[in-house]
Amino acid sequence: MKLKRAGEAREFEVEIVAREGAALRVRIDGEEIAAEIEAAADGAILRIGGRHVRIYGARTRNAIFVAAGPAAWEFVAVEGRAGRARRALAAAEVAAPMPGKVLRILVAEGDAVAAGQPLLVLEAMKMETTLYAEGAAVVKSIRAAAGAMVDHGAVLIEFSPAPADPSARESDPPAA
Amino acid sequence: MKARKIKRILIANRGEIALRIIRSARVMGIETVAVYSAADAAAAHVAAADDARPIGAAEPAASYLNIAAILEAAHAASADAIHPGYGFLSERPEFARAVEQSGIIFVGPPAEVMAALGDKVAARRIAINAGVPVVPGSDAGDLEAARKFAASSGYPILVKAAAGGGGRGMRVVGEAAGLAPALEAAAREALAAFGDGRIFLEKYIARPRHVEVQLLGDHHGTVVALGDRDCSIQRRHQKLIEEAPAPGLKPVLRERMAAAALTLARAAGYRGAGTAEFLVDGDNFYFLEVNARLQVEHPVTELIFGCDLVAEQLRIAMGERVAEPPAARGCAIECRINAEDPAQDFRPATGRVIKLALPAGPGVRVDTHLEAGTEIAPYYDSLIAKLICHGGGREQARARTAAALGEFMLLGVRNTAAFVREIIASEPFARADLSTRFIADHFPHWSPADRDLHEALIAAALAANGMLGGAAATGGGGNRSSATADGAAARSPWTTLGEFELWGRR
Repeated sequence: MKLKRAGEAREFEVEIVAREGAALRVRIDGEEIAAEIEAAADGAILRIGGRHVRIYGARTRNAIFVAAGPAAWEFVAVEGRAGRARRALAAAEVAAPMPGKVLRILVAEGDAVAAGQPLLVLEAMKMETTLYAEGAAVVKSIRAAAGAMVDHGAVLIEFSPAPADPSARESDPPAA
Repeated sequence: MKARKIKRILIANRGEIALRIIRSARVMGIETVAVYSAADAAAAHVAAADDARPIGAAEPAASYLNIAAILEAAHAASADAIHPGYGFLSERPEFARAVEQSGIIFVGPPAEVMAALGDKVAARRIAINAGVPVVPGSDAGDLEAARKFAASSGYPILVKAAAGGGGRGMRVVGEAAGLAPALEAAAREALAAFGDGRIFLEKYIARPRHVEVQLLGDHHGTVVALGDRDCSIQRRHQKLIEEAPAPGLKPVLRERMAAAALTLARAAGYRGAGTAEFLVDGDNFYFLEVNARLQVEHPVTELIFGCDLVAEQLRIAMGERVAEPPAARGCAIECRINAEDPAQDFRPATGRVIKLALPAGPGVRVDTHLEAGTEIAPYYDSLIAKLICHGGGREQARARTAAALGEFMLLGVRNTAAFVREIIASEPFARADLSTRFIADHFPHWSPADRDLHEALIAAALAANGMLGGAAATGGGGNRSSATADGAAARSPWTTLGEFELWGRR
């Protein structure tokens, strides 16, 4: 299955290759990794590379939450077709990474944007957060208004692919 | 002054600090009244208090900043005192004044002292008049004056909000071209955050340490200092890790700074708990500001002095005298755990706490309002927990902090625990090589190590298939991995996951 960290573009291919008793073999982005897993009263104990760590996980409708030791993670599964579509276009849309207020919209419909270009400023938890383009694209539609409160996951800007340009067709940009 | 007894106190705050204040009040036999917004009806501080009153909608302006609603709740609940905590109304002189005028004790300095110190421009003048060194700067925040100041002092310069705090409305300007936009952005942010868009300028010191002195002043003119704290490790100009005492300061510098803090507090007629903040650059120190309230990082001082600063605040409010503090013992370190993604430039994270494990052990203290099910809403500050560890020396405090962070687990909301653990375990932190540039210098664009990523991806793959026992949040369903033994392995989905698609719609 393909996973990416919430809010990031980089995708990971994770596959459980085999499991015999506690022994677990996993392939992550083509690299095979051996581990051991033991169910605990709650979560599990993962032994990997001479370390052991308590892991916990929960899936919700939109995300997979994981805790591995003190590290807290939020993954989203990249679906097959959408995944393919998104590789051609770094991201087909920009969604609100958290609930908040739209402060400013920095692009207009029809604008060509480049990877890393600021698109929109959100305010949440008393901080301003700027959302950037993950790759080259053209702004197809803007679906939020300045001043509006938006929910987590609300689509704010939709893109169509940038005009053919080999340099802009590079796959996912590095994670921000 | 006449002693006044506090019997029932309203806490005009939420989160961990509301709980913290409730605990101290309870120990002193004082009844507690919580207030809560519509988003906090089920919050821990509401459950912990003896009484609780709703004060408005989730947005802070409608509730925790709503002076009329808070005063109404205080009267309705027959509270005879109000503790503002930190943040929200804690440094609003108009709130302190309104509380006192309605016949209720305000736990904090008098409104006029707060007004003088809370205005950073006015506070600089008090410091200059008291002979306390300040960072070279300019009171005026308009473009013309800013250009003049920048031309004489040279770039970079720092643009700050007169009413500011917590880094809001603060900008570093590296060159002339950035000046006008920075002034505009800082003024806008300051206006939004504090309702006051006035700004001022300071010479930017590249690698200062942030050191502060804890003060307690009573109604009888006595002010005492309770040692210092180093709060240099910051992100976005907001503190992330604090410790007491500030390590490695020359004794003469420490004494001069404490003396300067006391001079300032006496000059301002300070009462209650407060903090004088300084920048330390080599053997020099410069006054930054006085925070006329309890600080987030007050527990590190409590641990080394063996005191309860909230209780001290309440005693002072009741007219009691402060005593000279005992000798400090050992070292204490606090780590703030914020609902933010450290791998994404500390972007705020929201969500629900699905599972929580808190550390324990000798010298370990956790101040938090979190419990399983707590909703982290976007309306309030991202601080969700503070881990404070005490040790006989700095190294023991550091080792305890690192171990305790290893025990911390919060499933469901991205947070800074793993990041602060890396800092605590790092060699520059162990050496106490501290400056406000620490994170930019040593942990720029931090992302998790590959081995941590691998652990997380494996856990995610297990959880996605409902195979990580005990933690299915909503219809996680499926087998527990422990059930998949021996012969069952052959039929196990583990062996057939290659084409599996989560929520697949082909």
